[in-house]
Amino acid sequence: MFFLDNAWLVPLIPALSFVVILLFGKRMPFKGSEMGIAAVGSSFVLACGAAVQWIQRVGDAEEGGGGTEHALGAFGAVIGRIGEEATEGEHGPIVESVHNSFTWFQNGGIDLHVGIQIDGLSVMMMFVVTLISLLVHVYSVDYMKGDRRFTYFYAALSLFTASMLLLVVADNTLMLLVGWELVGVCSFMLIGHWWEEKPNSDAAIKAFLTTRTGDIGLLCGVIMTYFVVQQGTGTGSFNIEDLNASAAGYLNPVSGTLLFWCAAALLLAIIGKSGQFPLHTWLPDAMAGPTPVSALIHAATMVVAGVYLGARVYPVFYEGLNIGETNINLMAAVGGITVLIGAALAFVQDDIKKVLAYSTISQLGYMVMALGVGAWTAAIFHLFTHAFFKALLFLAAGSVSHSGAHHSFDMKKDMGGLRKYMPQTYITFIIGTAALAGIFPLAGFWSKDEILLGASEGDYTLFLVVGAVGALMTAAYMTRCIYLTFFGEYRGGDHAHATPHVDEAEHQPDEDDRLPDHGHHGGPHESNRWILAPLWVLAAFSVFAGLFNATWFDIDKFTEWTAPNANVFVELQHHEFDVMLALISTAIALFGAALAYAYYWRGLGPQRLSERNGLARTGRQFLVNKYYLDVLYTDVIVAFVKGPLARATYWVNQNVIDNVLNYAGKGAMVFGRFTYDVLDQKVVDGAVNGIGTITDSAGSEVRKIQTGRLQFYAFMLVLAVGVFALALWIAA
Amino acid sequence: MNPVFDWHALAPDVILVATIVVVLVVEFAFPRQSRTQTSRIAAIGVLAALVPIVSLATHENEAREMFAGAYAVDNYALALKAFFLVVTYITILLSVDYIDEGDYYRGEFYFLLLTSVLGLMVMASARDLITIFIALETISIPTFILAAFRKHDRQSNEAGVKYYLIGVLSSAIMLYGMSIIFGLTGTTTLSGISDAVAVDATTRPLLAVAMFLTLVGFAFKVSAVPFHFWAPDTYEGAPTPVTAFLSVASKAGGFVALLSIIFFGFRSPNAADLWWGPVWILAVLSMTLGNLAALRQTNIVRMLAYSSIAQGGFMLVPFAAAGIAEANGEPFVADTSFEAVVIYLLIYGAMNLGAFAVVIAVARRTRSAEISSYGGLFETSPVLAVTMTMFLASLAGIPPVAGWFAKFVMFRSALEAGGPWGVSLAVIAAVNSVIAFFYYAGVIRVMWFKEPVTEDRSPIQVPGALTGAIAITATVTFVIGVYPQLFARVGELAF
Amino acid sequence: MGTMEWSEWALSLAVFIPALGAVVTMLIPRAQEEAVKWVALITTLATLGVVVGILVDFDYDKSGQLQFQVNNDWINVINSRYHIGVDGISLPLLALSAFITVLCVIYSWNHWPEPHNPKAFIVLMLVLEVGMNGTFVAQDLILFFVFFEIVLLPMFFMIGVWGGPNREYASIKFFLFTLFGSAMMLLGFLALYFKGPNTFDIVALSDWAGQDLTHSTAVLIFGAMFLGFAIKVPMFPFHTWLPDAHTEAPTVGSVLLAAILLKLGTYGFVRIALPILPEAAEDWAPFIGALAVIGIIYGALGCLAQTDMKRLIAFSSVAHMGFVMLGIATMTSFGINAAIFGMVAHGLITGMLFFVAGSVQHNFHTREMSRLGGLLTQAPKMGWILGFCVMASLGLPGLAGFWGEFPAILSAFEPLSTLSEETFRTYMVIAAVGTVLAAGYLLWMLSKVAFGTPKAEFADAEIHDVNAFEWTAWLPILLLIVALGIFPNLLFGVTDDAVCVMTDKISEQVGADSTCDEGGDTVPVAEHE
Repeated sequence: MFFLDNAWLVPLIPALSFVVILLFGKRMPFKGSEMGIAAVGSSFVLACGAAVQWIQRVGDAEEGGGGTEHALGAFGAVIGRIGEEATEGEHGPIVESVHNSFTWFQNGGIDLHVGIQIDGLSVMMMFVVTLISLLVHVYSVDYMKGDRRFTYFYAALSLFTASMLLLVVADNTLMLLVGWELVGVCSFMLIGHWWEEKPNSDAAIKAFLTTRTGDIGLLCGVIMTYFVVQQGTGTGSFNIEDLNASAAGYLNPVSGTLLFWCAAALLLAIIGKSGQFPLHTWLPDAMAGPTPVSALIHAATMVVAGVYLGARVYPVFYEGLNIGETNINLMAAVGGITVLIGAALAFVQDDIKKVLAYSTISQLGYMVMALGVGAWTAAIFHLFTHAFFKALLFLAAGSVSHSGAHHSFDMKKDMGGLRKYMPQTYITFIIGTAALAGIFPLAGFWSKDEILLGASEGDYTLFLVVGAVGALMTAAYMTRCIYLTFFGEYRGGDHAHATPHVDEAEHQPDEDDRLPDHGHHGGPHESNRWILAPLWVLAAFSVFAGLFNATWFDIDKFTEWTAPNANVFVELQHHEFDVMLALISTAIALFGAALAYAYYWRGLGPQRLSERNGLARTGRQFLVNKYYLDVLYTDVIVAFVKGPLARATYWVNQNVIDNVLNYAGKGAMVFGRFTYDVLDQKVVDGAVNGIGTITDSAGSEVRKIQTGRLQFYAFMLVLAVGVFALALWIAA
Repeated sequence: MNPVFDWHALAPDVILVATIVVVLVVEFAFPRQSRTQTSRIAAIGVLAALVPIVSLATHENEAREMFAGAYAVDNYALALKAFFLVVTYITILLSVDYIDEGDYYRGEFYFLLLTSVLGLMVMASARDLITIFIALETISIPTFILAAFRKHDRQSNEAGVKYYLIGVLSSAIMLYGMSIIFGLTGTTTLSGISDAVAVDATTRPLLAVAMFLTLVGFAFKVSAVPFHFWAPDTYEGAPTPVTAFLSVASKAGGFVALLSIIFFGFRSPNAADLWWGPVWILAVLSMTLGNLAALRQTNIVRMLAYSSIAQGGFMLVPFAAAGIAEANGEPFVADTSFEAVVIYLLIYGAMNLGAFAVVIAVARRTRSAEISSYGGLFETSPVLAVTMTMFLASLAGIPPVAGWFAKFVMFRSALEAGGPWGVSLAVIAAVNSVIAFFYYAGVIRVMWFKEPVTEDRSPIQVPGALTGAIAITATVTFVIGVYPQLFARVGELAF
Repeated sequence: MGTMEWSEWALSLAVFIPALGAVVTMLIPRAQEEAVKWVALITTLATLGVVVGILVDFDYDKSGQLQFQVNNDWINVINSRYHIGVDGISLPLLALSAFITVLCVIYSWNHWPEPHNPKAFIVLMLVLEVGMNGTFVAQDLILFFVFFEIVLLPMFFMIGVWGGPNREYASIKFFLFTLFGSAMMLLGFLALYFKGPNTFDIVALSDWAGQDLTHSTAVLIFGAMFLGFAIKVPMFPFHTWLPDAHTEAPTVGSVLLAAILLKLGTYGFVRIALPILPEAAEDWAPFIGALAVIGIIYGALGCLAQTDMKRLIAFSSVAHMGFVMLGIATMTSFGINAAIFGMVAHGLITGMLFFVAGSVQHNFHTREMSRLGGLLTQAPKMGWILGFCVMASLGLPGLAGFWGEFPAILSAFEPLSTLSEETFRTYMVIAAVGTVLAAGYLLWMLSKVAFGTPKAEFADAEIHDVNAFEWTAWLPILLLIVALGIFPNLLFGVTDDAVCVMTDKISEQVGADSTCDEGGDTVPVAEHE
């Protein structure tokens, strides 16, 4: 089982390539891009190898085999304890996940391991991440050509891929946290890739801080997972399978309160990372980064880290939030809300990437909602398919802007009618849209259908409705997007560079150091093969990926392959395909598309409503301003902390705390002055003056003193003696 | 009965007397130009006097007593005598050039100095009220004149006169106290008094007053607040080497007297609980007010004057502690406290003399004692600056220079005595040692952080004798700091 | 040299070679700067060499017990002894100290702060090293006190002579604060001596661990020591000397201050306060924890209010040391391990930040963030290093900072079983919030300094990027930050046993469950609900 046991190579290779590119990239013939591609390519090969072997492993397991030889030490004990119920599996075949770990560090006598846990889920993720990353690497060769930080861009891409893969293969929550944070940093670096302009660096910081806010949850959550395991197994650990087993209740009882808080904390992390309401606001801004980055990070991989976490430690949520026992829970609610608010916002965007960004938010909402309603497989299946068509849409959008719109993303200003100029991009975009909208038989159809199925079966009617409405909106806004981009008249003209908002054209270096074939001289045209190849590959996946779980045709390979080890996982319900539901959802999607078609192509319905109707205008305003969440965060919360609060604190620091010392010092000085001027000088100075007036004649001097000062001293003596006598009597 | 003379025991004092005579004779007999020798003669005499002390110390030591126990030569006495002689030697080193360059009467100067030292020598051995009194006067009277030695300088005269008046007054009070004590106990020997006091408790109030008057007398000698007011002006007015001598030697004389009287006379619990209270108050007042007043000074000599008042306060802390301990009937604790006093005295002597040495050296260039005139000393003559920093740091009690150990034993005694009074005393002392750093740092700051005031950036020329003085004091200060054991032995030895 | 002798001499050498170097330097005429520099370099390298030797010979399986011990007479009258030794707790800090000092010498090689005078500067630096190394190896309270104090004057002069415009105030403030603290600390030590088994020996006192001491007395004595250490750390209400000192100090001064001097305080807690007075510590722990988390938030907010880059970094130290103190306050092996890791990590990272800030000032002659910008365009390498340090400082996993922060927070979830969990869990959440604020102010600084385009006034200024000396001085730190981040066991492996030995003793003393043995006894959270 080479590929499975050594899956740690998959993240390692890109990590190394990051170092190499950083150090030597600039001196390489292709500025390091070849290094990045090679690295990710080999990771991809390894990932495929792993996938194949895993599928074999599942096969073996079905013949009753199932390799237990790789069970982890600590976990072995667990198995021992739950062995019986493990074998009598109405859970179906038990497929041990593959472990390979060694001690990372010990602290407080406790060993903390670093290692990999390879099972269906992680294999699937490895495959997706490496594949899309590879395609993005290829795509960027042309897209980023001539960029002033080309090499660094590739280095960052490698690092990102490495971190994401680390997160995926992690066998303990601590490692997962490490990968998680690293991913966040890469996202920071790449969003801020063109940091010369303030908006970009601001967007980068916003993204980092927002996700970081979610990470409060991750931090606390991971810590609590440690103690969940401690209660479950008696030994604290971050190990994920121990965690799942403990949470699923196969071991010693675990405090429900703890589980709840753990789940809540981790949910906060998901909200932050996967752009769920109300922390989704960073995702659209993150589009300030180069398009390949948006495709890779902010659509296909990083943002799904949250969902992945949710799926990874699902038992915690399942038990902690009583999924399946209630017909509403925190997770589902968050997801549901996100589905709708994301979709709604997508309608009012003029920037094609922002449309896709909000669509991503809404789709992530689907996944979280799916987890929330107990449809685990559906969630990760949607994750799987969504990765392809969303990446496709982004890359296509990139291609549009790159070759068709002077590096602008403004659909209304610089696009329109592009289908004539760039047919391939057009077709692939259509495929992506159809997949996203969930049109039979494309990828999106199957996954979204399963989610709805899960919602309906699990008595989550509310969320079934949400899902349906979401489907309708999705179809509609995507159609709008297509219309604005590819139909109507080409609005590009040559004014592209004067576009008011920051667009990538301004980030590109001066004309001369870019190759002449570069599309922004002259009119729009099709992009070259570096860009198109990835599009087609992704298009293919967008079409066929769904068939892995084409339950209609009784294909449920995906379910089978990704099925978690039931010994350490909550029992998952699988649903029979429901034709009615499928038809309805498809119908809804088509209806949505139709509406948009009618509105945009045929000009039916209330055109320019928002300009005539005040209510509609306010509604539109509300959407345009993104529900004023940004105002709340940026102008209220952040502004308050950075402004008044910080200043107040500092004021206190300077004028209160700091002054304690200064006042003490001053006090001493004042007291000193008093002591000196009054106690001392009144006495001594008097004498000095007295003597000062004396003539040199010693005789008269003495006489003068005898007459004048002596009594004074005598008086002093008596005084002092008197005081002391008093003190003495008290003492004696 | 005719007293027996133990000449070996008396040798140091005898040698000193001899030196005094020689100095005087030279002064009379020889023409002016050859009188430059007097300083050398004095120095040699002092060193010579050290020889028998060493021999006595190494000699198998039975306590040597004379005159019916009025005069004893034991380790305690020897340790202190040695200390006094060394201090004198350094004072002479300080004086040589200072005196040569001013138009002073050399012979008289050294004559007076040595006479005062003779008083100190006697004081170290005195075990009898009368002897103590005589010793004290022998110490004081010459210093009255020395203080006014710059006779054309009005400040100097003022210093002398003031010092003289206060001295006389305090002596009077002290004598009065002593006479009452004699009246109560019927003896003047400390041992006798000790026995008497131990048994008889009937006359407590009167005894209290008597002890108290004596205490006040000493309070003046050691310039403890509120009996200190003569000190700053006297110190400022007197020739700086004399100031150094006053602030170290004659102050020490006062402390030794106090130590002897209390240690040999009033240790018994029912005496102790009479005197520790006043001493406690004196200590607190001296440290606190001395420090606070020092904060305000712009003249370094005055600053050192107040600092020495504060240091006097620190030295009184172990006294008070000893008193508390004795009152609680813990004589062993008291022993360490008395030890602490001696250790503090010795260390204080070294670092304070050192500081004055640098002051003299700097004044040779600047002709001023204003602290501001130390600006940029680190730039112009780093060695002086560094040594001065060392001495000041030591006075402030910062490791690794000697002062910390003095402070340490001081704290130690207070805390060992314990109880609310002991602890509070320790805390007050601690706070004071922090305040104290403030004005010492003031000087350091000027030396290191400020620009030189004079155009002349050439390093200050320091004559040999002065260099010697600085070298000795600096070495002592540093060595004690890093290896106090060497020195603590002396303190141990004394008891 | 036989290992026998070697093991007896090693530590003393590590402490006093710098002293020797200082003396030699003093003898060199001031004009011969080259000679002075070389002496300094050789001395510090020699010291580092000795320390490395110690690192090699150190028996890591017995890191729980003192090694390289020397126990000779010193001051018998007060029976204080020259007792030195290292265990897993002090070893990393000793190494850090020796290591950083060398780099400081290299860094200052050819930019000396005004008013120049390398000779004096180096003498001070070497004396400083004596004090720092000594403090970490001292096993006798008085010896500890002496070394603890020795660092004062050199730093005082470094700030006061080579410092910025407001240097006099800053230096005096620094000095008075610390002096006050250590005066109280000394009283505490003496009280221990008399109330305890009449010894200053830290080991003996730790074994005695405050038995037969009335509770109130113990609490008072702990309070005295607390003042001494907390001021040095510095903890929240006593921190105000730090920003001033850092802001005014010359670069190297800031680095040494941040990297080593602050650690003297936290080390004091770990080495002296906790083991010797566990019961009292237990009473103080919630209070200390509270101050720690206040410090975390407060420091962060302070940072956000800064306009001066260096001052911001200084304030961030308050926050970071807050995490360290939180770890210590939990009194668990986990927390104290974290604390020690935090000390080292903070030493490296913040030290590095100060280096960069120094070079930025060297280039732009200002640290006003409003005037800076676009460092990444003008001096890309320095810009990236700054970015790297920022990431490390905000506790990015995979870099050193994280391993000080995360375990500290974790330990707060389950403090010593006799401490109130509710309280410490509240602290945990606050601390977690603190990490976000940390990210906030650090990235804010980064974007102000490094991002954007250079301001007009510096648009065509002559900006040198990282030069050879800076590389030599910085690279080791950067590498170490990464190494420790990836293999935290490099450090935990050393400290863990030592800490466990200590905390087990403490737990035993206060009758709490051990926080060490494989979590077997650790109380399930359930029992507390």
